[in-house]
Amino acid sequence: MSEIKVVANILHTNEEITSQNKRLLNDKGIYVINMMSSPGSGKTSLLEKIISKLKDRIKIAVIEGDLYTTKDAERIEAQGVPVVQINTGGACHLDGKMIKGALDSLNLDNVDLLVIENVGNLVCPAAFELGEDIKITVLSTTEGNDKPLKYPRMFENSGAIILNKMDLLELTNFDKAEFYKDINSLNALATIFETSCLKDQDQGIDELCSWLSQQVNINSQFNKACI
Amino acid sequence: MHEVSIIQSVIEIVTKQALENNLIKINNVSLRISELSGVMPESLEFAFDSCIKGTMLEESTLNIEIVSALGECKNCNLEFPIEHFNKLCPSCNKFCTNIIRGYELYINTIEGD
Repeated sequence: MSEIKVVANILHTNEEITSQNKRLLNDKGIYVINMMSSPGSGKTSLLEKIISKLKDRIKIAVIEGDLYTTKDAERIEAQGVPVVQINTGGACHLDGKMIKGALDSLNLDNVDLLVIENVGNLVCPAAFELGEDIKITVLSTTEGNDKPLKYPRMFENSGAIILNKMDLLELTNFDKAEFYKDINSLNALATIFETSCLKDQDQGIDELCSWLSQQVNINSQFNKACI
Repeated sequence: MHEVSIIQSVIEIVTKQALENNLIKINNVSLRISELSGVMPESLEFAFDSCIKGTMLEESTLNIEIVSALGECKNCNLEFPIEHFNKLCPSCNKFCTNIIRGYELYINTIEGD
């Protein structure tokens, strides 16, 4: 019997494809968001709001991850921006290879901001890089304030965290002070937004959109400086 | 259940290494899993037992070593062990923004005939 020293990164294949994605997206000057959360936290509703407020100023495209349906992609399409659907066929996360395929279907010369809406799941998507500039995690008040402690990695790796469904806060036992304390211990640098996507009375969406357009502008200025 | 994807990747890498080293059968696979990776050893073992059927790894055992996470303080350059919920530098109490080690998933060694 012989022992062989391998020392190989198990996720090497994904990371290789991811760096190719990243190079391509950087070359095109596109700011890329990997948006993650548990199912039903309001990612698609937030996206609808963001798109309707920003689409006249920023060229947006969306990649929608979903196990089986095209429901979310149809909602995004109705907003009038390009959208590509990835059906994972039961897989619990998106990976670099799926994104590579989706990028082939987009006209990247006409995109400033690409939002990848990951499969709803607080665990697995956190382990797979897609070639994004930032991970944004959405948590809704109805899920409870204990989630960052129970699913630390996603919150730990996110540049921004959106606390959604603020309109329902009073109806839940969500403890905001505990939430901020936990996020601070996990990821003191994350930018935090509080939002609600109510039809006629949204909340925090303007702040979120102005921060997002700032990120897109910084990215585009940085890219111009590099050329 | 991304542990299945991870194990499928392990089987691919191990099979390639085994063929390159003229092994016909794998007896043991040793992984090094970092503490913050969020991967559960029990789930890996479960996925391993299911996925190795019909492969060169069919009769092999899985060995998992957990590696602790390490941060570096950008303020005072101290390297220190970190946890999900404690990343404060023990010397200057600043929040650690530089995680040196903590998310890695590695195949360390394989044994075979």
